[in-house]
Amino acid sequence: MSVRLSIGDSIRQALSSVHTVVFPTTERERERRRIAIMTIPFFALAIFAGFVPLATMLRMSLSEERLFNEGWSVDAWETLATDRTYWWIGFNTLWFAAAATLVSVAIGVAVAHALEKYSLPFERVIVAAVSFPIALPGIVVAFMVVVLLGRQGLLTQTVAFFSGQSTIDLATATTIGGLFLGYVYSLIPRATMILRGTYAEVNTDAEEAARSLGASPFETFRHVTLPEIRPGIVAAAILVFRSALAIFGTVLILQGGFVVVTLRIDRELAVGFNSQIAGAIGVVYVAFLIAFTFIGLRFVRAEQVAI
Amino acid sequence: MTTPRTSPSRDDSTTGGESQEVEPSADDDVDTGAALERETAFQVANRRPLSTLLGRPVVVGVLLLALFVLVVPIVTTFVSSFARTATGALPTGFVTLEHWRYVLGFGEYGVRANAIPGLTFSVGIATAGMLLNVLIGVPVAYALSRYEFYARDWVNTLAILPLVPGVILGIAFLRTYPERGGSALGLVVGYCLLKSPYMVLTVQSSFQSMDLRRLEESARSLGASWPRALLTVIFPHAKRGILAGCIITWTLAAAEFNFTYMVHTGDPEPFSLFLFRNISNAPYLQSAAAISIYFLIVVAAILVLQTIGNRGFTTVRE
Repeated sequence: MSVRLSIGDSIRQALSSVHTVVFPTTERERERRRIAIMTIPFFALAIFAGFVPLATMLRMSLSEERLFNEGWSVDAWETLATDRTYWWIGFNTLWFAAAATLVSVAIGVAVAHALEKYSLPFERVIVAAVSFPIALPGIVVAFMVVVLLGRQGLLTQTVAFFSGQSTIDLATATTIGGLFLGYVYSLIPRATMILRGTYAEVNTDAEEAARSLGASPFETFRHVTLPEIRPGIVAAAILVFRSALAIFGTVLILQGGFVVVTLRIDRELAVGFNSQIAGAIGVVYVAFLIAFTFIGLRFVRAEQVAI
Repeated sequence: MTTPRTSPSRDDSTTGGESQEVEPSADDDVDTGAALERETAFQVANRRPLSTLLGRPVVVGVLLLALFVLVVPIVTTFVSSFARTATGALPTGFVTLEHWRYVLGFGEYGVRANAIPGLTFSVGIATAGMLLNVLIGVPVAYALSRYEFYARDWVNTLAILPLVPGVILGIAFLRTYPERGGSALGLVVGYCLLKSPYMVLTVQSSFQSMDLRRLEESARSLGASWPRALLTVIFPHAKRGILAGCIITWTLAAAEFNFTYMVHTGDPEPFSLFLFRNISNAPYLQSAAAISIYFLIVVAAILVLQTIGNRGFTTVRE
């Protein structure tokens, strides 16, 4: 007898397990039916609104026609693979998101440290102020950058007042610097949110012991606190990097001569409706995001990188 | 032997820790070995590490800088929306409601430019997306917290991490459902999927504070059927979490821009596109008024969240 089941057997087995879920006889089978009932609506939505569209997007990248999915052609993928422009855009997106992640997580550590370790006045207000921007969409964040660095921006006006230069020369909202501020603006609150959760779980006894044995504050942080918050830092980095890659509204308004993947997709559609290329970029992007998430999740629990 | 309260070794205090002025009680647990401590105290005093002097000021400085960057533009935007002019360093000519009247479409400004139809439309869509999220998110959250099952981790990851960014989902959506893409139904379904992680997480954290198995089993043993136990005992127990999830998903859906921008065509214009139009090509103060409308929505949402005992838009577990 071969160990492998024939195709007929596998189908029969699958059908019988479906049958036991639909018509359960034991308690275990009833429980399975309950789990199925509770998760099926979510899967129905995820398939209808998520997986089917993503599959269509893959088909779109292989389509010969621009307006409909008709015919087959790998031109878009060839362009994507050979045209250096796209490689540069991908590289730009990655380093920019990585740099913004690094800065945001570093600031997040400092903010969480100050909030959890020092007793500061108005702590509740500070917490509220730091988490408020989580609810702001990218386009509003772009306006916040304009408020600080635009031609009428507060910082621009201040520098212009003291240096006597023209505000038009000083305005940096629509440069790469302004864009970076926009990224960091949306990412700091997310990093802080996760790191505050981590800091709340840190065991303070070890820190006090290190201090009383003569370690300096920095040494204590470096050798005692940092190892304890490392999982939080990794989780924050994963979440923040994912969010940074998805930023679109901020880039759309600030632009700054810097093209990231999301903006390029929009441009492909707006100029000439290159839907195949837009679809191909989208597929690569989703594949990267999923791969990154699953590799990242090997280092932390899924709940820690939530949202 | 008694250690003086102002033991110099504690002078530079705990690290990370509270400063000595604030929390002198930290001394109490180091009374033993005080002689040794006094000895090292002199050594420490002789070579004070730089981080003792600078550590705390630097960290607090970073916090203040972050607060400045995050908060000042928000406050400035809100305040300037009431100003008459904004040509100088600071807006002047308070207080006028002109910009608010303009963006809300009151007065003699004509109907096309106003926000009311868009706001109403967005309210409807966000509400529908929120209700759909209750229907799909609450059961998934319950299944994930109550049962152990095959591929549970995968389902969990799928449910709490946003599947794809709004821009990509928008493009994919447009091609898949060309005739429905821009419709209200398309927006509802898209918002629901994009914001479902917030619902699942918030409800899950509510479920995790309950003994679900005991609750379910006692309801069942008193004769309730399984659906009845869920609907009349368990879900009502989690109503705070569900309410908090509703508020968060509603607020975020009302302002979802990336997906809407890709998908939507035609009238009425959703609120996020109205914001976009105002930000990209309206006078400064008018943009400020348009954005301030959204600030008010978020503040209202946060206030409601706090009255029901949720900490805000964070889904971090306590």
